[in-house]
Amino acid sequence: MDKIRDFIENQFLIEFDDSFPEDSDLFKEGVMDSFGYVQLIRFLEQEFDIRFTEQEMTGDVLVSLVQIRETVARKVAARAAG
Amino acid sequence: MCGIAGFLSATPISGDQGARIRAMLAAIAHRGPDGAGYVVDDGFAMGTVRLAILDPAAGLQPVSDESGRYWLCYNGEVYNYRELRETLVSLGHVFRTGCDTEVVLRAWIAWGPDCLTRFNGGFAFALYDHERQELFLARDKYGKRPLFLARHGETILFASEMKAFLAVPGFRFEQDPQQLAAILGQWTPLPHQSGFRGIESLPMGEWARVRQGRIERFAYDTLSFAPTETVASEGDAIERIRERMTDAVSLRLRSDVEVGVYLSGGVDSAIVAALARELTPHPLSTFSVEFEDTEFDESAEQRLVAEHLGTRHHARRISHADIAEACPDAVYHAEVPAFRSAFIPMFLLSQRTREAGIKVILSGEGADEAFLGYDLFKETLLRAAWNELPEDVRRSRLERLYPHLAHYGPKDIAAVTGLYHQFSAEKMPGLFSHELRFQNGQFSARLLNAPSDPFAEISALVAGSPEFGSMSAVEKAQWLEYKTLLPGYLLSTQGDRMSLAHGVENRCPFLDPSVIGLAASVNLRFDDGFTEKRLLREAFRDRLPGAVADKRKFPYRAPDAAAFAARRPDYLDLVLSESELANLPFLNAKFAQRLATKVLTRPAEEVSTKENQTFLFLLSIALLDRFFVRRHDLGQAGISNALPPLQRAVDLREEAAPHASQGNLASLT
Repeated sequence: MDKIRDFIENQFLIEFDDSFPEDSDLFKEGVMDSFGYVQLIRFLEQEFDIRFTEQEMTGDVLVSLVQIRETVARKVAARAAG
Repeated sequence: MCGIAGFLSATPISGDQGARIRAMLAAIAHRGPDGAGYVVDDGFAMGTVRLAILDPAAGLQPVSDESGRYWLCYNGEVYNYRELRETLVSLGHVFRTGCDTEVVLRAWIAWGPDCLTRFNGGFAFALYDHERQELFLARDKYGKRPLFLARHGETILFASEMKAFLAVPGFRFEQDPQQLAAILGQWTPLPHQSGFRGIESLPMGEWARVRQGRIERFAYDTLSFAPTETVASEGDAIERIRERMTDAVSLRLRSDVEVGVYLSGGVDSAIVAALARELTPHPLSTFSVEFEDTEFDESAEQRLVAEHLGTRHHARRISHADIAEACPDAVYHAEVPAFRSAFIPMFLLSQRTREAGIKVILSGEGADEAFLGYDLFKETLLRAAWNELPEDVRRSRLERLYPHLAHYGPKDIAAVTGLYHQFSAEKMPGLFSHELRFQNGQFSARLLNAPSDPFAEISALVAGSPEFGSMSAVEKAQWLEYKTLLPGYLLSTQGDRMSLAHGVENRCPFLDPSVIGLAASVNLRFDDGFTEKRLLREAFRDRLPGAVADKRKFPYRAPDAAAFAARRPDYLDLVLSESELANLPFLNAKFAQRLATKVLTRPAEEVSTKENQTFLFLLSIALLDRFFVRRHDLGQAGISNALPPLQRAVDLREEAAPHASQGNLASLT
């Protein structure tokens, strides 16, 4: 799962630490824009062999590293169970 | 067009005041290479470098009235000067010249600061009252012409460009991280900001009184988008747009030298060119920037318009190398950090224009703000209605909004929908329309160590502007554009500063108050705003090539980081080397270095817009530090520091000389 953290850090030139915790809202903090959001979703789908529903992409579930991790873990588990 | 500069001290000044004002004027000589003039009094001097456009023989500056009490240094044009002159003559004023400068002087004497609301044009001036030793400074209502103020000990300095302060003994420039945070956040300085500590821009629509070391500022104009006229129908709207634009172009063709037109390839400048062609007796010269990089090139449309109108067309073709090479000079002239490279080709275009013998041009700036041409306005309409719209309507409007951006294709539209969902409710009071933009600005603000809130000042500005609160979401978006991007970048960094770098004056018919008033009266009345500038297009469709009349807004841009990555000029060390970055302690050097390395090494398609913007900010901040703070390599920036031919020098301290002769006759050379 640190692949996600690495991707975000490298792609958006940030470092998660005490001043920028993993539950920071990446939109509000100015880290993510539409271009970056599309890149992130493409990366996650490819890397974890998952597909996001439109509801997931258009809702509030992919705004922080913590939420992204949880969502990916849930989808990977669901795929394994399915 | 001209440049002005001067100073007024509350206490006596030691040293040669004449030498000091000559040095300040020499630093802005590019704005007015045709001649220089100045006036000196106790603790005071001011002067003008002049680009002679109206009444070239008689328009020497500074000008004074017969009594020698009032002295004027003036930069710009008041286009309705003939009408004002008639009014003043009917009030008993006697004129000695046919120049608009004298009209401004006599209008001030007749009406005081109330004259400012009568002026239709772009101007900045300094008016000195010798009797009361007071100085008045004023600037036009849209911020077309610049005027900066600085405190230097007991002395108040002013100038059209800050570089004049480089010539003031002991004056030091220091970049202000708090202002930089705001500039990075919102792309441009706010109306009062300069980027440097202790230097203020006189905001548009304001005048100031300077006396006894104090500056008092007064607003004479408030931006409003309330309808100014009753428009009965779409046909009526179209007819009025035709009339108003014809008048606006006609007024701006008033010149004793030939006037050319900048053609961008878009519909706005094509309209201006079509009208100028019809209203000008001689063949029209047009000028365009072409790009080797086809992603940015609009030469096909530019040539189409030029051929259609039969103009003498001149193009300056821009390569990556041109951008890399001209960047330092262009940044020196711009004086404030820039978020994109598109101003650099305009620096080269004005050089080309001057070489062709043209020193006045018209352009299409201001049309998008007045007639809602930017995507920003559509975005605002869509986001404001987002929560009430069904899913399919949201999607179809998004697709109409962004057909030209690859990553907004059908495949990715869901991701963009997610983004819009995040921005469908106002988070920053009053700034709803600009939240998406400001979110990118937040990224740029990371260039600073511990940046202060980038949006604190703009939030205070809107909160302190009583007219703002009751505006609609789109009007607020317009208001913000008229206060930030238009004056803070388009008219200045990309406009006035680049054209005047080579002594070319640019005029904007779409900034005519009567055009802006009419636009406010017809916008969104006859359509939903999603076909941008529809009425304007309809008004001039029959005079333009079809491909241009229907051309979608294509933002004028130039290659950003890619140009520098391709050429790798030596000065990139400023943003790549640790020791160079250490000269800028307010920067987050680690982030700056990572960003610069990424944008200069990765393929262009992997570099996002905000990364390009942040890189250009970084590079321009570093170059400004080099030129203004450390004063290194000023020679490379192409500064001649030579005073244009001195045409008038007046010393009011010479008691023997009667006032009247000082005013009229004291020309030295």
